[in-house]
Amino acid sequence: MELDYDLAFYVEMFARTFSFWWVILPAIFLGLIVGAIPGFSAANTIIILLPLTLAMDPETGLTFMVALYASSRMGAGIPAILVNIPGTAGAAATPLDGYPMTKQGRGQQALAMSFVASIAGGLLTTVVALISLPWLAQIAFYLHSVEMIVIMFFGISLIATIAAKDTLKGLIAGFFGLMIGFIGTDVVYETPRGTFGFLELYDKVPLIPALVGLFAISEAFAIIENQSILTERGKAAMGKPGWAATFEGARIAASKWWHITWNSIIGLVIGVVPGAGAAIASFVAYQQSKTYSKTPELYGTGHVEGLIAPESANNGVTSGTLVPLLVIGIPGGATAAIMLVVLQFHGVTVGPDLFLTSPELAFGPFTAMAVTYAIMVFSVLPLARYMSNITVVSTIYMAPIIISFTLVGSFVPRAYLFDMNLALVFGVIGYVARKTGYHVAAILIGVILGPLMETYFLRAMKMSQGDIMVIFSSSIGNTLWVLLVISMALPYFMDYRRNKAALNDPYG
Amino acid sequence: MDFDDKIDLGMSRRDILKGSMAVAGAVAASTMPFSKAFAAGYPDHNLKSYIPTREGGGADRLHRAITGVWKNHLGAAFEPSFFPGAAGRVGYEKYMGLAKDDMYELLFGNMGPEVLNWVVKKPTFDLNTFQYFAQVDSDPGIIFVSRRSKFKTIDDLIAEGKKRTLNVGVSRLAHPATLGALALGRHTGAKFNPIPLSGGKNTRAGVATGEMDCGALPSGGIVNRKKGFKVLLMFSHKNPLPGRSENAPTMNDHFKTSMPSLIAGSRAFGVKKSAIAKHPERFAKIEKTLKEVFKDPAFKKAYAKTKSPWEFVGYRDAAQAAEYTKNIAKIGAEFKDLLTGKKT
Repeated sequence: MELDYDLAFYVEMFARTFSFWWVILPAIFLGLIVGAIPGFSAANTIIILLPLTLAMDPETGLTFMVALYASSRMGAGIPAILVNIPGTAGAAATPLDGYPMTKQGRGQQALAMSFVASIAGGLLTTVVALISLPWLAQIAFYLHSVEMIVIMFFGISLIATIAAKDTLKGLIAGFFGLMIGFIGTDVVYETPRGTFGFLELYDKVPLIPALVGLFAISEAFAIIENQSILTERGKAAMGKPGWAATFEGARIAASKWWHITWNSIIGLVIGVVPGAGAAIASFVAYQQSKTYSKTPELYGTGHVEGLIAPESANNGVTSGTLVPLLVIGIPGGATAAIMLVVLQFHGVTVGPDLFLTSPELAFGPFTAMAVTYAIMVFSVLPLARYMSNITVVSTIYMAPIIISFTLVGSFVPRAYLFDMNLALVFGVIGYVARKTGYHVAAILIGVILGPLMETYFLRAMKMSQGDIMVIFSSSIGNTLWVLLVISMALPYFMDYRRNKAALNDPYG
Repeated sequence: MDFDDKIDLGMSRRDILKGSMAVAGAVAASTMPFSKAFAAGYPDHNLKSYIPTREGGGADRLHRAITGVWKNHLGAAFEPSFFPGAAGRVGYEKYMGLAKDDMYELLFGNMGPEVLNWVVKKPTFDLNTFQYFAQVDSDPGIIFVSRRSKFKTIDDLIAEGKKRTLNVGVSRLAHPATLGALALGRHTGAKFNPIPLSGGKNTRAGVATGEMDCGALPSGGIVNRKKGFKVLLMFSHKNPLPGRSENAPTMNDHFKTSMPSLIAGSRAFGVKKSAIAKHPERFAKIEKTLKEVFKDPAFKKAYAKTKSPWEFVGYRDAAQAAEYTKNIAKIGAEFKDLLTGKKT
C-alpha cells in the first residue's frame, strides 16, 4: 500500500477532527465512567449505543466510538489505582504499584501520573501508527501462533517476578490461576474440562467475575477491617487536596518520557496482532519494565515506573487495534469489530482502498484518537484532584458500595446470575489469598493469560500435527525465545553484580 | 436412539406420529370455542428468543432484521437473549432447560454447526423433544484464499495439497464448511489439516495474515470482501452468487462428485415440540406470520443492512429443515473420528 500525503493533508485532517469536539467531549466522559465500572466495557457500551451511532454519519459515528474507546481505557485505571479494582482486564497490572501509592496518601499524584502516561502513550502511538500504517500492518503477517506463544510467556513470566519475594507461594498462586484459566471447553475439540457440570463455565471462566472477585470483593472484605483505605502515614501525607499533587504527578510522569515511549510501543505492536489485547500488553510491559529497571526491588511498593508501564502500554494498544482493521480489514479486537459493523452498515468497505477512496474515514479514527488524547489533557487531568477524594470515604460505606457495584458489573456482560455467585467465590479465594500471603495478581495472570496461551499452543500443535518442535520453528519466534531467556535471567545477573559490588565496597 | 447413526430433528416415524397427533390436536382444538378465544389473545406480550451465539454477530443481525418486521405481522416484539459458548451447546441446553413450552420462547440458531456439534457430543436433552420449524437462510460453504496467496484456482490448491499437508483455517471443526474441506481432500487425495480458529472473524484473519494456506467458511463473510479474498470452490449444488464469487465452481461440477449441498450458514427458528403439541393454534400463527415476513418488502430493506447477499434468503419449512439436518448429520458421522480427534 502506498500512501502519498503531504503535511498539509495531515494538518487539514486534524483541523477537521477538532471540529467534532462536541462529539468527543461527551464520549470522553462516558468512556471514563464505563471504563471505571467492571463489566461495562467500551465494546458493550458501543453495542448498546449502536442505534445512536448508526444514526450519525460514518465520520461522526467513528469519532464518537474512537473517543469512547480511548477514554474507557484510561477510565479503567482510575478504580485500579484508588480502590484496587481494575475496570477491565487491561488495567489488571495497574494496581500492582498504583494502589500502594494510594495507600501512602499519593492517590492524586498516582492518578495524575497514570493520566499523563495514558495520554502521552496514547498520543505517541497514534501518531506513530498514523505515520507508519502500511509498515505497521505487516506485523500481523509475521506474528502468528508460534510467535504469540512466546509473547504469552513474556506475560506469564511476570508470575515468577511477582513470586520473587516468596517463590513457592507466588508459583502456587500462578499455577492455581493457570488451572482456573484452563476450565472450559478446549479450543480444538471443544471438550469440556473442569466445568463441574456448570454450563456457564463451558465458555471458560468469565474474566469480569474473576477480576471483580479477586480484586474488588476481596479488597472490600479486607478494607472493612480498617476505617480507611489509607495507612496512618498515608492519611498524614495526603493532607488537603490541591493542584500541587497533580502538577507533581504530571512532572514525575513526564520525566519518565523514555519509559512511557517504549512501553507504549510494546502496546502498539501487541495491539496490531488480531486477538491480542490490552491485558497481554500491560502484563508484558510491567514485566519488561521491571526486568530492565535500575530499581526492580521497588516494584510492588508504589513505584512510579510500575504504574507508568502498564498504563502507557494499554493505551498504546488502542491505536494498534485499529491498524489491521483499516489496512487489511481485520479488526484487532472486540471494539474494532463493532466499529467494522458500523462502517459496513454505512456501506464503507475497509481495506487498502479506503485510504485512496475515503481518506477522511481511513485516517479519521487515528486523528480522532489523537485529538481525544489531546482534549483529555485539559478535561481529564484536572479531575485527578477531585477523584482522589474517594480514598477518604470511610470503609464502612466504601466496602458495601464496592461489593454492590461490582456484583452488578459481574452480571452485566452475560446476564447470568451464576456470574455474581462466581464473583463472590473468587472474592473469598482472593481474601484467603491476601490473608495467607498469596498474590492475587499472580492468580489473575494465570486466569487471563492461561487460556490465551493454551489457544495459541494448541493451534500451533494442530498445525504441526503434534510436533512439539513447532514452537522453535520460526526465526522470529526463536529470536523472541532468546529475548525471553535474557529478560528472565537478567534480574538474577543484575542481583549478582549488585551483591558482588556490595562485597567489594570497602565502606559497604 | 443411537446418536451415532441418526440425528433426526422431526422426521423419524415416532416423530411423524407425534406430529400427526399434534396436528389432530390442533384440528380438534380449533373446533373448541375456548381454544379459539385462547389463540386470538396470542401473543399478549413479547416473545423471547434464545440465541446461542454472541451479541453483535451474524445471527444477531439477521434476527434483528427478521423480528423487526415480524413484530408487525405477529403483533408482539422479540427480546433476544444471547447464550454463547461451546459452539452453541450452552444456548441449546439453556433453552431446553429454561424455556417454557407456551410458544412465547423460541430458539434462533445455525443448524449446520449446531447439529454437527451434537454428532460429536450428545446433548443432555432428548433431541426428539426439539424441532426446527423454519429455516431462514442458506449460505453455502466455500474454500477461499487471500488475494496475496499463490493459489489462484482450486486446481493449484489441490496440486499443492498432494505435495504437502495444507492448513485450512475453519471456524470450528464441527462445521459444514470443514466437512466440505475434508470431503474435498478425501475425493482428490489432497491433504487438508483443518485448524479451528474460533469464529469467522479469526478465520479470515488467519487466512489474510498468511498463517493458513486457505480457509473454509460460509460464503457470506467472504464475498463481501472481494478485495481481500478469492473464492476457489463452493460446496453447494449451484453457485448462488456467480458475479460476486468470480464464477467459483461448485465441487460437484468441478470434480464430478455427488455430494449433498453443504450449506454452512443455515439459520433457523426452533421450538420445543411440547410447545407445538400444547399450543398448535399459536404455532400455526407463528408459522403463518413468519412466512408473511418473507413477502414483506420491509424485510428486504432491513436485510440489506446486514450486508449479506439477498440470494441466501428464503423460507424453508420444518420438513425441509429436517431434511437438511439429516444430511449434515450423516456426513458428520462419516467424519466423526476426524472431528473428535480419534483420527488425525
